[in-house]
Amino acid sequence: MLRGFRSFHPLVLLLYYIAVIAGLMLNQHPIFLTAAFLSIIFVNLILDKGIELNKWKYMIIFLDLFVFVFTPVFNQQGNIVLFELFSRAFYLEAVIQGAMIALTLSGILALFTTFNIVMTPDKFLYLFSKFFPKWALILMLALRFMPLFRKRLADIQDVQEMKGVSMKDGKLRDKAQNGMLFLQILLTYSLEEAMQTADSMSARGYGLQKRSQYKAYRWKSRDWSMLILLFFLSLSTLIGWQSNKTILTLTPELESILLQGYSWFYLLGWFLLISLPIWTEGKEVIKWNFYQREI
Amino acid sequence: MELLSTRNLNFTYPNSSEQALTDINFTVHEGDFVVICGPSGSGKSTLIRLMKQELNLHGTRSGEIYYQETPLEEHNPITLAKDIGMVFQDPENQIVMSNVMDELLFGMENLGFSTNEMRKKTAEIVHYFGFNHLLQQDTSELSGGEKQQINLASVLLLDPKILILDEPTAQLDPIAAKDFMYLLKQLNDELGITIIIVEHRLNELFSLANQIVMLEQGRIKFSQNPRKALSLLAENMTTYLPEASQLYLTFTSSPEISDIPSNVKEAKHWLNGLDITSNQTQQEEQVKPEKPLLELKEIDFSYSKHTKPVLNNLSLTVQDSEWLAILGGNGTGKSTLLKIIAGLLTAQHGKIRYKGKKVKQMNRKFIGYLPQNPKLYFLHETLKDEYDALAEKHGKSETEVQTLVKEFQLEALIDRHPYDLSGGELQRAALVGILIGNPQILLLDEPTKGMDPAFKEEFASIIQTVKHTGVTIIMVTHDVEFAAKHVTRCSMLFQGEVIVTEDTNAFFKDNDYYTTMINRITKDSHVPAVVTVEEAKMSWQMKKVLPSSV
Amino acid sequence: MANEKGITVIGVAIFFLLLIFFPKFIIQHYLLISILFIIAILLPSIIRFSRKNMTSREMVMLAVLAAIAGVSRIPFAPLPSVQPTTFVIIASAIALGPQSGLVIGASAALISNMVLGQGPWTPWQMVCWGMAGFIAGLLAKTFFMKRMTWRLIYGFIIGFIFGWVMNMWILFSGFGDLTLETFILLNTQSFYFDLAHALSNVFFLFLFSTIWIKILNRFKEKYGMFQENRKE
Repeated sequence: MLRGFRSFHPLVLLLYYIAVIAGLMLNQHPIFLTAAFLSIIFVNLILDKGIELNKWKYMIIFLDLFVFVFTPVFNQQGNIVLFELFSRAFYLEAVIQGAMIALTLSGILALFTTFNIVMTPDKFLYLFSKFFPKWALILMLALRFMPLFRKRLADIQDVQEMKGVSMKDGKLRDKAQNGMLFLQILLTYSLEEAMQTADSMSARGYGLQKRSQYKAYRWKSRDWSMLILLFFLSLSTLIGWQSNKTILTLTPELESILLQGYSWFYLLGWFLLISLPIWTEGKEVIKWNFYQREI
Repeated sequence: MELLSTRNLNFTYPNSSEQALTDINFTVHEGDFVVICGPSGSGKSTLIRLMKQELNLHGTRSGEIYYQETPLEEHNPITLAKDIGMVFQDPENQIVMSNVMDELLFGMENLGFSTNEMRKKTAEIVHYFGFNHLLQQDTSELSGGEKQQINLASVLLLDPKILILDEPTAQLDPIAAKDFMYLLKQLNDELGITIIIVEHRLNELFSLANQIVMLEQGRIKFSQNPRKALSLLAENMTTYLPEASQLYLTFTSSPEISDIPSNVKEAKHWLNGLDITSNQTQQEEQVKPEKPLLELKEIDFSYSKHTKPVLNNLSLTVQDSEWLAILGGNGTGKSTLLKIIAGLLTAQHGKIRYKGKKVKQMNRKFIGYLPQNPKLYFLHETLKDEYDALAEKHGKSETEVQTLVKEFQLEALIDRHPYDLSGGELQRAALVGILIGNPQILLLDEPTKGMDPAFKEEFASIIQTVKHTGVTIIMVTHDVEFAAKHVTRCSMLFQGEVIVTEDTNAFFKDNDYYTTMINRITKDSHVPAVVTVEEAKMSWQMKKVLPSSV
Repeated sequence: MANEKGITVIGVAIFFLLLIFFPKFIIQHYLLISILFIIAILLPSIIRFSRKNMTSREMVMLAVLAAIAGVSRIPFAPLPSVQPTTFVIIASAIALGPQSGLVIGASAALISNMVLGQGPWTPWQMVCWGMAGFIAGLLAKTFFMKRMTWRLIYGFIIGFIFGWVMNMWILFSGFGDLTLETFILLNTQSFYFDLAHALSNVFFLFLFSTIWIKILNRFKEKYGMFQENRKE
């Protein structure tokens, strides 16, 4: 999609992710976290129909269960005892906390799946080379070498297997040793070959002067609007958190989970912040629907 | 205008007693198309690398290199980087970025172009080359020919006045190589870019170049226009000539410089004036008794459930002690077939019989595999360590290994690191290692890629010695001329299927396009059709020269 | 058109100003602050690296090593608990020095995650492998890295520390406070993985570190690279 969320300047996108991750860690309140988690799932769906998220679902479920089960075991602070097991008290507060941590974790993980869809390596490296141009170039070179080395490694494995040196049978020790021998061939061979890569860099003038950077991403007027929106929404979240309106107090006394007064306002701000991708992507979907109907 | 020239150029590498280049004097004018040729180690690469100052070749140099009549050192380095562009041999190693667009931009970013300049120039070049469809791709997904075109384009974006190319087509298949050469011709003709190219496949270049420089042992043997070069090569370096010229020289006792044909058209014209009959009218070879070693029947193979089958209903019979060549274009499944024969892959359907016995998968013990790149073969620091380890594994005695080492003339190299060997030595060294394992079948994967003509002949004779020990040889190749000269039978692979397997001679005589230059010259003419110069030598009988001879 | 660099600087400045004006953040999220602190320690090294004039050959050599560290997991995929990346980083760092070790380690983490998908663990992994390389490089000229026994001990310890730090990202998203109990709980869960990592480091270092360092040094000499490190 030409417009949508992905079309914003990488810097704006990066700030969005920083703001939302910070918010997820700060707003420790079941309602805030649930709203966040659901919105992020929705962002996933609207970006790629949840394909990327699907790959991570087992990890998310495992971590959630782990945290949800173990938090009450170790967290012995609270007033309301739910039940006792093996002479250990399980407190309602601890269960709530376990749930909140599980929600935070799954929120962050689900957010990272959208990060992987939105911040493709080229956008990431574009930003990276603003700060560390030389390091970014090394990363780009390494990224170019990865598929090449993978192919070479497969060739090495074939050739050596024909000689009877393989990782398929034998003791673990032998397998590991043979594997490292393959890597050693890859190292010696690739270092030698890479000198040609270095020559081809020099031949194209690398190192003669300061490099310029091709601006693949232009700063557009919508990036300004988005930046301003991001700023105010993050500010509202921060203020809300500073004034304890977005946090559920567990100790010394459990607060009511229901939101009151200004908390609603902060919830709205928080929700708007997370769902920025939904509005921008959704707008495009609607536009296209209209466009097609007119035809 | 004189664009680039050298005066009394000498060069010696560090720790080397011999000069790599001696007294090099030559001049390139604007718009020239210069070919530098010569055997491996004659100093071709050294010479062109000296012309590219950024490469900073280590060693001692005397003499001068002039660009636009000013010594290289006195130019602004940035101007030089822009004006003199260079494309190297290996398409893969030159690429520095993982995506095509970034690769194109790389040189321009180095030299500080602005985004707008870059955008405009890239748009132009993409249009000129017509590779819009490649722009968003990863460089690792491109074919060898496409990679080399991207490399060329990336250099062209800096507006070079001179383009220096170091065997740019050595690693490409014949069709991609031809396309690349014509692209160079186009750049030379349409844009007036001066071209200096190092190459040992001279076939197409004779008609493209206007100056041919022959190097030998670091000295210029001659520097002439193609016609003159042709006659000089005819005297004692016929292997560098196109087959058409070789045929002419074989059958002409006193050759005329202006008559030497360099392509099919000229050769056909020359043949028109001749009356030739075959002296072997009953040329039928005695039919050898069939002794199949390996039979593949109705093999299907695909890499995963969802992808198209790579091999489809493939059947192939390999005879005992033969040298079989498997030919076919890119992506026809050649290397997959080789892996199935090697026992590295298992076919999903079909039968394999080895020595008449049905097997599920080939036993790797019976098979030796010489990779395209023999460097990948060696695990140890010296050849001796490598052979000792192999001998122990296969229960071979030291004397047996020594006999092999002697046979392949490796005694002097036995304590060297494999990476310090030359290409030919490396190939021999790997073959000894393979033969220690007593294989019954030897698999060769595109062995002649990047070899110069002399080396090819040497390699062929090595393989012949291996074959005489009773080893069956199966070779995958693109090299039609090589196969025609040396192989007993040929198979053609197309869309994952062997469409024909025939004796080499019959195979190439039947083909119209996929055949040797000599066959294209003699096919459907009044002279007996032959496939190689050697065959012509044996079977042609020159009657008399017709009076209309030119 | 706006000056992008300016905007970037302003953005980062705002981020840090907010940190200062909301002190509660620092108190509650000391783990996050501590990782920022580690990054701050490494930053000078990275900046010095960025200013250094490197030849294209040196750049390419670092990239090759980072890429090899990144792909090294592939042939070992059938042996689940064997993990050669740390070995590649340590060996390279001993041969090329602390800055190169840091860059190779952090780059290896970053690029392998670019292929597999970034997660909240990415920065932690970068810091872990970067530090593993940095320290190995610092100690390269001392008896620590020269004697095999100490090299093995280093590899063993790194294996566990790597696992522990990698588990931290769960803590940093709020999994209780860092008490001894939660720490142990987290790490018993991954104990066998960490042990396997430590043991495979020892195994690889014992059998291969000498030859790998030799290969890298020989190569460095042959092409005259990283010469200034020798003078130091």
